Amino acid sequence: MTVLDKLARPWPAVVVILSLVLTACGTASTTTSGAASASAQQSQSKAPEPNELTVLEWSGYEQEDFWTDFKKESPDTQVDFEFGIADADILTQMEGGSTADIFHFYTGWQQFYVDEGLVQEIDTSKLKNWDKVPDSFKALGQINGKQYYIPWDWGFTSIMYNTDHVKNVDSWDVLFDPQYKGHIAMWDDGPAAVSVSSYVHGYDETAITDEQLASIKDEWKAQRPLNKFLWQGEYVELCPNSGPVDPDIWIAYAWQGCYATSLSQGAPVAYANPKEGRNSWVGLYGISANSDSPDLALKFLDDKLADLSCSNAMTLFYYGCVNQDVMDAVTDPILIQAFALDDPSILERTNFTPLVTDAQRTAWTNMWSEVKSE
Amino acid sequence: MLGRRGALAYLAVPPYLWLLGLFVLPLLVVVAVSLQPASGRIDFGAGWPSTNQYAHLADTPVYFRQLALSLAMAVGIAVTATLLAYPLAYFLAFRARERAGAFLILLLLPFATSFLLRIMAWKLLLGRDGAINWLLTTTGIATEPSTLLIYSRAAVIITLIYVWIPFAALPIYAALQRIDRSHLEAAADLGAGPWTRFFRVTVPLSLPGVLATLFMVFIPTVGEYVTPVLVGGPEGVMYGQLVQDFFTRAGNWPLGSALAVVMLLTTLALAAAAVKLIDLRRLA
Repeated sequence: MTVLDKLARPWPAVVVILSLVLTACGTASTTTSGAASASAQQSQSKAPEPNELTVLEWSGYEQEDFWTDFKKESPDTQVDFEFGIADADILTQMEGGSTADIFHFYTGWQQFYVDEGLVQEIDTSKLKNWDKVPDSFKALGQINGKQYYIPWDWGFTSIMYNTDHVKNVDSWDVLFDPQYKGHIAMWDDGPAAVSVSSYVHGYDETAITDEQLASIKDEWKAQRPLNKFLWQGEYVELCPNSGPVDPDIWIAYAWQGCYATSLSQGAPVAYANPKEGRNSWVGLYGISANSDSPDLALKFLDDKLADLSCSNAMTLFYYGCVNQDVMDAVTDPILIQAFALDDPSILERTNFTPLVTDAQRTAWTNMWSEVKSE
Repeated sequence: MLGRRGALAYLAVPPYLWLLGLFVLPLLVVVAVSLQPASGRIDFGAGWPSTNQYAHLADTPVYFRQLALSLAMAVGIAVTATLLAYPLAYFLAFRARERAGAFLILLLLPFATSFLLRIMAWKLLLGRDGAINWLLTTTGIATEPSTLLIYSRAAVIITLIYVWIPFAALPIYAALQRIDRSHLEAAADLGAGPWTRFFRVTVPLSLPGVLATLFMVFIPTVGEYVTPVLVGGPEGVMYGQLVQDFFTRAGNWPLGSALAVVMLLTTLALAAAAVKLIDLRRLA
């Protein structure tokens, strides 16, 4: 009998205890496959819906400006917010039995919620603002031909650079340029690192081989000392809306909101159009398979697509919004510059974040942790 | 009818239940998750329990290097914070007299603000245009602002020492308070000077508090992750950051759990070795 065999004996009892604990905590089964059934939705719709909603959100999105149309139309509905700090965290919360009716995450994670039955299909015929959403955005919310998600916020990722110190950036490979040692700020994120390397070397991001991943790891290990810091979540030192900007940062992996904020403050910055193309991310909302208020949740999301909420996202926070009417009405030169609205081909040259498997994501995040540990 | 001892035993039940529910069971969950065969999201599936996660760690020496580095940083921070806290505690116990209460409140005043705010304040102090660089350049000590103060391992160490000093002073203060002043008087009567009294009487009698402080600072510092994220930069990464990354950002609880278990066992082993080496019972 091996040591492991001996150890395994008491484990069934431990597993039972843990199962009870997890059940008590309301953990959702991970063995369910497929999205919520239509009959489940119908049985839910028979009972009167409570006039309250819980939204699993990212900190900051709870501000009423982001859902002002719903607030105006449904002032008596209580809307509560719970928060996640990363896409993985939001998925884990949903898997753990979150009671949220609506959840918000970003491209790359769509498949998981459907596979685990955490999300219900959306009847887009009930959405009065759906026609304002371009088909390319709608497609991002579809899995197996069904609409599970409503796209809402979107934006670019590219290289923001200080034009006083860096004259022109036309490639993502500037992040690896040793002449800028100590003046670079990269996002602390494994999948982002893999994306950048894929752009630079022309790899197929959805089919990175082990050899390519090993080479990517070596590349970022060599790049690590070039960074002044690795930013997480809020890139405090890059964007003037979050506090004093670190003057030593000349080159940053950054979202368009940071660029727009910097422009609005008169900072000497530019936002690269790399020859490999910018990256674009899109925020998606799903309605929980276990929602007690699916119709109210749908109304909430429909109202988020309305003009005022979308316009607020753009003008107050410099986020893109999928309402094309709002995008077409933009006149603010900063927004036009940040979203390259005067460049009709920009989206054709943009790399949208692809769907990746759990195994790929795990390999990429492991790679990044090892880079950080070196 | 319950005797006094029986009643006391019942009083101990709630804390034990509390510990069982909120410490032991979660710890078992972490251990159980670390024995999941596959990395990535939680799915015990076939093959549980498995040592796959630990085998992966064993094949990845950088994690152990990072753990060793974090342990070394934690030892350095614990020793320095304790050394700096000792004079503070000594002043409160022996010199402050009736003002001791007021000084104690002043010592604890930083805790009135959030931990995050205090770390952010250090970002401002250590930054390129921060107060320390301003002082260095205006006094002529440096010709240009240093870019090495922030986003470095040194920044993490400096900030954590600052964070821990008030905490560290409390157990030492308590130990110094308990010293019977007649011992010092006896030493003086026998001809011992102030320094001799300090090193031969005060310090030995305060060692239980000093050691408690060392452990109290060392153990949580090993797993610290907020400070390195905010002021560490690429060179100031600590092991706790990796654990946090795996749980919250990578969604890889099995590997994160294995990292956490390794950290816990290593920290406990070091603490146990230190306790055995020092023989706390002799000091008490």
